[in-house]
Amino acid sequence: MIFHEIYSVYYITVSKILNEAVKNTVNIQRIREIAIKYAFAESTIPVETAVKKQAWQLILNDGNTPLHNKPDIPISTLQMRWLKSISLDSRMKLFDCDFNLPEDIEPLFTQEDYYVFDSYHDGDDYENEDYIRRFQMILKAIKKRQALDITIKNKNDNEVLCTVMPDRLEYSEKDDKFRLLTSGSPTASVINLGRIISCNVHNGDFYVKKDRKHFDRLRTLTLELTDERNALERVMLHFSHFEKTAEKLGDKHYRLTICYDRSDETEMLIRVLSFGPMVHVTAPERFIAMIRNRLKRQKSCEL
Amino acid sequence: MSYSELIKNFDIIRDYMRNFYIYGWGSRETYDKKSARTYDDAKRRLESWLGEYIHYRQSVDGKRVFISVDTRSTVHNPLYYAWKAKSFTDGDITLFFIVLDILHEPSDFLPLSEIIERIDTDYLSHFERPKFFDRSTVRKKLNEYVSLGLLKTEKRGKTLYYGRTQNDIFTDTDALHFFSETAPCGVIGSFLLDRQEAYKDIFSFKHHYINAALDSEILYLLLEAMKSKQETEIIRLTRKGEKHTLRIVPLRIFISVQSGRQYLMAYRRNTRRIISFRLDYILSVKPYRKAADFDILREKLKGMQPYIWGVSTQGTGKRRETVEFTVYFDNNEQYIYDRLKREKRCGVIERIDKNNARFYAEVYDANELLTWMRTFICRITSVHFSNKEIETQFKADLEAMYRMYGVSDSDIS
Repeated sequence: MIFHEIYSVYYITVSKILNEAVKNTVNIQRIREIAIKYAFAESTIPVETAVKKQAWQLILNDGNTPLHNKPDIPISTLQMRWLKSISLDSRMKLFDCDFNLPEDIEPLFTQEDYYVFDSYHDGDDYENEDYIRRFQMILKAIKKRQALDITIKNKNDNEVLCTVMPDRLEYSEKDDKFRLLTSGSPTASVINLGRIISCNVHNGDFYVKKDRKHFDRLRTLTLELTDERNALERVMLHFSHFEKTAEKLGDKHYRLTICYDRSDETEMLIRVLSFGPMVHVTAPERFIAMIRNRLKRQKSCEL
Repeated sequence: MSYSELIKNFDIIRDYMRNFYIYGWGSRETYDKKSARTYDDAKRRLESWLGEYIHYRQSVDGKRVFISVDTRSTVHNPLYYAWKAKSFTDGDITLFFIVLDILHEPSDFLPLSEIIERIDTDYLSHFERPKFFDRSTVRKKLNEYVSLGLLKTEKRGKTLYYGRTQNDIFTDTDALHFFSETAPCGVIGSFLLDRQEAYKDIFSFKHHYINAALDSEILYLLLEAMKSKQETEIIRLTRKGEKHTLRIVPLRIFISVQSGRQYLMAYRRNTRRIISFRLDYILSVKPYRKAADFDILREKLKGMQPYIWGVSTQGTGKRRETVEFTVYFDNNEQYIYDRLKREKRCGVIERIDKNNARFYAEVYDANELLTWMRTFICRITSVHFSNKEIETQFKADLEAMYRMYGVSDSDIS
């Protein structure tokens, strides 16, 4: 069972409170701080009240606990089975770790149980030793804030060397690819890991002049749709991963405003086109012009 | 009953979260199938759990509350919080920590009577008004911990002894974070992450659908049913909102990373067909009986897969349908050919010449390809469907788009 109280944020919060109480006393102020950090926005009052009223007989009025040890919650069978499943995933090779699971643990699922049917065929090669080595080097460099000298093969098959500060690894399930998000290089803020030829820790100082944000280039798109052929559900679900607002305009008529990164504009364009006449872009004019342009070219194909 | 941010039943909140997240235009009055009180409580809970992701919009007919998440900049799935809000009794939490403290050392194996004695004397007696537990409550809880895998039992003579499950599991936070967002039932990875001390987030995710989190328990039950090769009884909602009960043999989960949907491919005995069911429309899963033919049916599905574009195993006719289209690309548009190759799924790509390529596929339902084919609008030079109705639909949709955006014959240069 997934929905169980042992996985609740309250149990985590109480274990953190007890963790301190076995070493020392905890006062209400500290309990409040822990609840704010580990539980929900409205959790502080119920946690505080339960402790004060001794509803949970774990913390005494003087802030001590009758418990003798720091709480150490064993990993459940469900958690071990899930770990076993991911240990069988080919992407697990990217992480230099062994969960040390008991041998008799059955996986919760295997590749036989599920199938991703629409990811692209040219995903990264997780079996490639060089790729794995570079991945792990990048992972370490992000944690240590170490600059990297990276040679990539660009779209024109030319080798390009750049020095970057690695910020984060971005993964797309659709592309089945990792991209390195970086700062410090205006020409290589996003690097496909699959295009990296070599990667080494930069020897020497490296200053990132400006902390560039990757998502500060948002654009908005407004589209209207009529709920025919189940368009409403399909469109809303398809664009659900963006920041968005939706309005009902009439009985079957809706408006959706989506924020997207401008570097993804072409992708947005084809995603909108995929819905055909079920959606109608109403703003901005520039985006409408791009659609019109594609439609004109299509019309000239004389299907 | 007074309000609590914790919940006993996931079903109601699953429905609200889905509506607030996927749609988000409903007002208090829209949710008339439930009481206003239920709506208010659900809204308040979501505000408490999701905070920054809750947005409001005032319109002429009321205030709208919705969940909006840019999943590219949010590195942990916020919908997982709902799974961490299970209610419990005062006794549940008290017993949990005390029992694990009594059985702290892996070598500590104690019988029920001694555990009860120690709970009373070593722990509860310290409190001014101790709330003692009866024997059956403690036994029930101990057995629950055994079934969860937190404790194990050992028989010594006629007496059952309880001890902690010893596991020296090494949990790498990077791997946990990555798979908690990308693997099936990722919320379990998120539970494991919650146990970790502070760590740095290394990963972010693009094209990341988070709504599947709401169907985690359903997915888990189906995975369990497949593992034990069980025929199951499911209750699902139809598009009209009616509840249907049916018996099926679950065979495989099909996941779409382009639409945010998860499907169960299952065999229905009464129609003798393998068909798909959306996981988000399944309300419950119950084991029914062993499916002796599970392996045969799974093999059958495997044999069908080369002809399934998405999840549909039936078109309008009895025969499989064919789809063929050609696209044109300029000399500097090699990436279009690459796109075809990487997105073709069960189709075949043939390079006709330097600037043209043909796609061909034989599938159960050619209708499923229309969405993808439209992404090539501006360069489709020919289409041919064996099912002429679909071809007509494709062309009619194009005409509708021309009208919608005011493209006429005079626009063609």
